[in-house]
Amino acid sequence: MARIAKNALPVMLLVLLGSSVSAEPLPYVYTRWKQFTVADGLPNDHIFAVKAAGPHVWVGTENGLARIDKRTGEIETWREADGLPWKVVSAIDVNRKTGEVWIGLFGGGLARYSGGRFDHFTQLNSGLVNDVVYGVAVENDNVWVATTAGASRFNTLTGEWSIYTEKNAPMEEIWNYAATYNDGRVYLGVWGSGVLEFDVEKERWKVYLDPDGEMEIDLYRDDGLVHVITTGVSYVDDILWVGSYFGGSRYDGRHWRGYFNQDSGLPSDFINFVEGRSADEAWYCTDKGVGVVTDFATNTWVIYTRVPGTDSGQAVVMRDREVLKTVPMGLNIPHNYVLAADVDGNDVWIGTSKGLAWGIGEDYYAGIGGSASKASRTAATAEAGK
Amino acid sequence: MKGWIPFICALSLLAGCAKDIPSPRDPGVEAKREVSIDPDTAEVLQRINAVDAYDVPELELKAEIDYARTSDDVVPFGAEEPYRKHFLEQMEYTGPGRAIPEPAQLETVKIGFIGPIEATVSVATGGRSHEEDLGVKMLQGSKLAIEHANARGGYLKRGIPFELVVKNDNGLWGASGNEIVDMAYEDEVWAILGTIDGANSHIAIRVALKAELLMINTGDTDPTFTETNIPWVARCIGDDRQQGYLLVDYMIRKLGYQRIGIIRSSNRYGRFGVREIVDSARRLGHPIALEMAYALGRDDYTLQLERLKAANVEAIVHWGDARESAVILNQMRSMGMQQPYFASDRTISDEFVELAGDNAEGVISASSWNPNRDDAQLEAFRRAFRERFDEEPETYAAHAYDGMNMLIWAVQVAGLNRAKIRDVLAHRKQPWPGVTGDIPLSATLDDMGEVFLARFEKGDWNYLSREDLQISSGDIPVGSASGGDTASSIVE
Repeated sequence: MARIAKNALPVMLLVLLGSSVSAEPLPYVYTRWKQFTVADGLPNDHIFAVKAAGPHVWVGTENGLARIDKRTGEIETWREADGLPWKVVSAIDVNRKTGEVWIGLFGGGLARYSGGRFDHFTQLNSGLVNDVVYGVAVENDNVWVATTAGASRFNTLTGEWSIYTEKNAPMEEIWNYAATYNDGRVYLGVWGSGVLEFDVEKERWKVYLDPDGEMEIDLYRDDGLVHVITTGVSYVDDILWVGSYFGGSRYDGRHWRGYFNQDSGLPSDFINFVEGRSADEAWYCTDKGVGVVTDFATNTWVIYTRVPGTDSGQAVVMRDREVLKTVPMGLNIPHNYVLAADVDGNDVWIGTSKGLAWGIGEDYYAGIGGSASKASRTAATAEAGK
Repeated sequence: MKGWIPFICALSLLAGCAKDIPSPRDPGVEAKREVSIDPDTAEVLQRINAVDAYDVPELELKAEIDYARTSDDVVPFGAEEPYRKHFLEQMEYTGPGRAIPEPAQLETVKIGFIGPIEATVSVATGGRSHEEDLGVKMLQGSKLAIEHANARGGYLKRGIPFELVVKNDNGLWGASGNEIVDMAYEDEVWAILGTIDGANSHIAIRVALKAELLMINTGDTDPTFTETNIPWVARCIGDDRQQGYLLVDYMIRKLGYQRIGIIRSSNRYGRFGVREIVDSARRLGHPIALEMAYALGRDDYTLQLERLKAANVEAIVHWGDARESAVILNQMRSMGMQQPYFASDRTISDEFVELAGDNAEGVISASSWNPNRDDAQLEAFRRAFRERFDEEPETYAAHAYDGMNMLIWAVQVAGLNRAKIRDVLAHRKQPWPGVTGDIPLSATLDDMGEVFLARFEKGDWNYLSREDLQISSGDIPVGSASGGDTASSIVE
């Protein structure tokens, strides 16, 4: 039986003081955060995946699956004893049409949770190319699975599987790391082979690589992907956001833009995951915090970190490498080693190696427009809460 | 690094039991029993033990000016300053793993081994498996290190033995990934040694990164293995980049060859093995005249050799396994091709010598170590290996012995915590004094120890260092390193 635990009471986290004040138009800064850990009912604190779907948030951990009910705060969990086929959950996507939850299992294949039942797909009982799954993406009636030895596509209507490797796709290497679908295109982040784009209608592949072809350098910042070892892909508003262990990239179909710690608000070039919110905003999950490019045009970022040695967090607003404002706050993200993120309307969910964070964006606004009044309103709201 | 004598202080950091670990220089069971912790490691230990799950210890990061000691004239796009240079500073581990306590109940301390030890058909290795001979040697070296450690008391903090968990990586469809997952989550090993095949290695280290488990490689010379920014990966064998640099320095800078041909296996070992040779030759102004690939398992290389012959090359480089190396060499000679024959380190084997016969004379191979050097530790290892397996140790066994000893040392020093095991090895400043020579780890935790050229002469391989060859590292004008030498008159 799945275990149900009551979540702890929400914690209102406040903006205490801005350590610096800027007259610059500022982006929205999340100041209300709520954390979830084992103490609150999660099966494990090491969060590998998070996916919001309606009133629920699905959480994949190193030792089990969880579903948080945002309305009640209840957490339902599944471990192997509850029917979860394998304990390490590395990826999650939800079919919005059917409600089916597709679960990537790290070394355990693929699972579908529907109607209170888990169906299990492995490389021995299905067309799944490998059991070590890094990414899952629902595309119409298909499910794409990024595995360590190629990608698989499962047609949920016909039961047909397709396998993509170096034999039939432009994968110089077959080590798939990430999968995403939006607006007719599937993108695969392939370790050592950059990003692959699959046009669903035309069934054609296109490959994006680092033009300089060298592992030890990026010759020019904006000539293409910053590196071929890609770890995350997200496609939204015709913009492709890419993460790698060597920096980030943004592609609008014509122009590339590279991001490094040296020229942006990226807290680190080691990017575990990226989630795009719009053409202007993306959340980069790194080993040293979350770097959010909030306004592409002005290269304005907000960096959320837990402050070492404290139980507090802070947000730093940056433009290029200039700090515009530092916002101390109560705890924001539970840990700076960040592995997953999902945008949930105005809210965001952040998975770290030591717990999950829910950023509540009641008065979220995009970009930096109208920021002066909205920022002061945010501060006022926080003050009122205090 | 030759002649380096570490300043070792035996600290009793493992309470009450810091007596029974041998110095790495003493592989025999009679060796002195103590935990050898140099002052720098002691400092690392103090810092990693002082943090909780939320803090990152302040550890000095290895830093380099030039990646992989690449000389200026062969760096990529040398005339252009890159926007971003990677691998010049060591990667940190910033996760919470250091706060995980040692488990209470344990009967053994498990160390993982993964390598090609069973013949099969593998997608990852390009068809029929072909590396079992190497994998079995690697396993022998690993076993011997474990047995030596256990003979000296095992894991001293608890007085329990080390246990080797052995997995095969030659299975279908990227099986190495599944095996690493099993070792991480089911067997619960503390660190892993492996693999050989480049594709399997990359699969394995991605899993090790996610599972946060140190993996040391002792047999995969693919340069890209450590070019991944994964802080959980180390290697203790000189890679094909270093071996390629030395070959190029010798062939082009010293001997002045202008038309070199390459014949290589079509798998990842051949494809990535020659990459630095191809790039360096081009950057030095003498691009490889022709590069031919062959599928594994064939005996007829007439097509490739005829084309190389027609290309009128002055020398031929082969990158592939020992058997293919011998067959290709024999066919070359039977076709009247008398060009000097250079090869990768896999050619240094009894199989090659036996198959090549008289044609082996004069062949020059790159080598990641010098097994002929006069070294008491190496001799003790050889003696122990012969006693245990009734055969001579070779490259894969010796490097595995070193790699496993490095893991065992890290476990003894750090205790049973995966992150701390990683820390003490990754931040070790002193080169590891191995039976294969000194092993200094770079910022990418790659082995930057000396590599050699081996020339087969009168029935034996003769190993030559850069010093022996009178080739220094760095920029050397092409054709002027020493002058006057030919491939058959190496300076000794």
